[in-house]
Amino acid sequence: MSVLEIRNLHAGVEGAKILKGVNLTLRSGEIHALMGPNGSGKSTLGYVIAGHPHYQVYDGDILLDGESILDMEADERTKAGIFLAFQYPVAVPGVSVANFLRTAVSNVRGYTDRARENGNNGTIGSNLMPMREFRRELNAKMKEFNVDPSFARRYLNDGFSGGEKKRTEVLQMAMLEPKFAILDESDSGLDIDALRVVADGINKLATPDRGFLLITHYQRILNYVKPDYVSIFYNGRVVQTGGPEVAHMLEERGYGWVEEEFGAEAQPA
Amino acid sequence: MSVIVKEKLMESVTGFNEDTVRAASTSKNEPAWMLDLRLRAWRMFEEMEWPKATDESWRRTRLTGFDLENFQPFATPGVENGRAALNDVMTHELDEMESAASIVFQDGGPLYRDASEDLASKGVIFTDLQTAVREHPELVRKHFMTTVVKPESNKFTALHAALWDTGAFIYIPRNVRVELPLQVILNQATAGAGGYHHTLLVAEEGAEVTVVDDLLGGKDGLQSSVVELVVGDNSVVRYMNLQDFDHSTWNFLTGRAAMGRNSDLRWIQVSWGSRLTKAFLDLEMLDEGGHGELLGIYFPTGRQHIDHETLQVHRAPHCFSDLLFNGALKDKAHSVYMGIIQVLPGAQKTDAFQRNGNLILDSGARADSIPGLEIEADDVRCTHAATAAQVEDEYVFYLMARGLTRAQAERMIVQGFFQAVLDRVPVESVVTKLERVIERKIGG
Ligand SMILES: Nc1ncnc2c1ncn2[C@@H]1O[C@H](COP(=O)(O)OP(=O)(O)O)[C@@H](O)[C@H]1O
Ligand SMILES: [Mg+2]
Repeated sequence: MSVLEIRNLHAGVEGAKILKGVNLTLRSGEIHALMGPNGSGKSTLGYVIAGHPHYQVYDGDILLDGESILDMEADERTKAGIFLAFQYPVAVPGVSVANFLRTAVSNVRGYTDRARENGNNGTIGSNLMPMREFRRELNAKMKEFNVDPSFARRYLNDGFSGGEKKRTEVLQMAMLEPKFAILDESDSGLDIDALRVVADGINKLATPDRGFLLITHYQRILNYVKPDYVSIFYNGRVVQTGGPEVAHMLEERGYGWVEEEFGAEAQPA
Repeated sequence: MSVIVKEKLMESVTGFNEDTVRAASTSKNEPAWMLDLRLRAWRMFEEMEWPKATDESWRRTRLTGFDLENFQPFATPGVENGRAALNDVMTHELDEMESAASIVFQDGGPLYRDASEDLASKGVIFTDLQTAVREHPELVRKHFMTTVVKPESNKFTALHAALWDTGAFIYIPRNVRVELPLQVILNQATAGAGGYHHTLLVAEEGAEVTVVDDLLGGKDGLQSSVVELVVGDNSVVRYMNLQDFDHSTWNFLTGRAAMGRNSDLRWIQVSWGSRLTKAFLDLEMLDEGGHGELLGIYFPTGRQHIDHETLQVHRAPHCFSDLLFNGALKDKAHSVYMGIIQVLPGAQKTDAFQRNGNLILDSGARADSIPGLEIEADDVRCTHAATAAQVEDEYVFYLMARGLTRAQAERMIVQGFFQAVLDRVPVESVVTKLERVIERKIGG
């Protein structure tokens, strides 16, 4: 049982203050939906949790099982069990999905560290998860998460459609087995079939030892993935938290209501 | 007897002059026609001016600090005595590639050769040029620097024609296919010497062949090489020029492919080494239906300076040419890419592409890219593009958010950048070797 706790987080980028006191707690086995209008700072929150070096934290803390992660580099946070599925995954030409994932999985599962401890750095590939074992697992997971086997050899996100990118993000999550997954609009831009595939993948990965922050603009995905909590995000902070009924209320009243309700209050004093 | 003659010769070779040219010819026991060719080229060389900073080709590549007087005109060849003559690097190069036949040159001459196939029975000639001059004079006289690259092309080709020393003569008869690559290795072992490596490949109609030129050594030396590819009608040629000289070599290369009807060529040009490289590389589409690819990679580090100047000439209609040069640059390295696609009147339905990408890894590095089109036909499709980029933080962050360290992420992005060319290298062992050099260069 793990806890990821965001405490009074103030953060921004290039001098702009975007997060203005975020409080949020994620626990293993729980799905927490975060809904908010465009520009409210949802992606910024994801980047700051994942450790994007361009973003600065001005105040507050992020604790994983009681330990601050703010001094950790992005890769160390991933090794500690945090995963961010990007709203806009970048294409990396020439780097194949399989090649890159093998290195990623080897780091996260400790093959690389163990090889270093054993002084085993000389032999090529000795610091990586054994190829056959990796391929077997990758193939199985590609099947399970509806990713065509040909994607193993394709270059990461290069020429992928929106749906293919989002499905590949879910595949990466399945391979990296995080404690906490932050999914940034994994539903946006998808047609209903692609949305079902992505939602299905999330449900398969929603095990008792894993917590989710499901960032979304629309309530649509919540028809397929049932959240335990729904928070409304507005102007850089969480303004309301409740159960699934909050999502239904938003659906009925729209984001205009959020602005009316929290607009004045949410302005910085 | 011959040993004594050689010693005497070497003593007398003290500078670049006509006597030196005669000595080069004598040391190879050449017939008179080759000596004549050398002497004519030498006179041309003497008459030609050195490149000036105002010449378009040399505006960005200066020869400051280059002086012929600093080099021994040519090196003394070693003695051919089997594998024992090879050093570890050459042995490794030989063992890594499964070749139909290999020739190793050291300094001015051949040092070792082997073959896994009986090529002669197919009529294939694969030998050192020196031997070919004696044994196949009619073929060499017809093709050696007569049409593809002429001595008068530039100052360095004239010097080359006067002093050429190592390199292979490759002749593939009509409809003969050599499946495994033919491997040529040059190790310029003597420091401070001049070297003039020549590759002459003649693929007759319907022939198929893959040739790999591997260029090593050359400490404090001068290399002025020439590549001539005669790509006959319907022939399929794969040519790889892998330049990995010492970082102190002054390197000049002029290479050209003359492409026949429906011929198919893929030329891979790799420029890893040298302190300075100026390479002129031309594809010439002489008849209909030719398909030519010119692919280059370079990765200068330190203060290396690498310059490629390319020309895709379309003389005939319905030809395709594709050029892709990708380079990464570190430290205070400098690269220049200049390229022209020239479509002559009547070369309708030309399809020609040209791309140059540069990945700049340090703020002190610089890449100049000057693509160009000269089109005199109206029904053609030509595109050119040049890019220069840094390794973007967005890419690094994305990979780090998947658990890669910063160093691993940067490494993968750089390797990925070269992959577009590596994907098109037809010999697996060459791909592995290139990947290792890229790894080494990224590492420092
Ligand atoms: N590099 C940047 N510099 C300044 N402001 C930025 C930068 N990136 C994003 N922002 C601003 O931060 C706010 C929040 O953006 P974002 O986190 O992407 O919101 P959301 O994901 O909720 O749509 C927006 O107003 C956006 O314009
Ligand atoms: Mg967003």
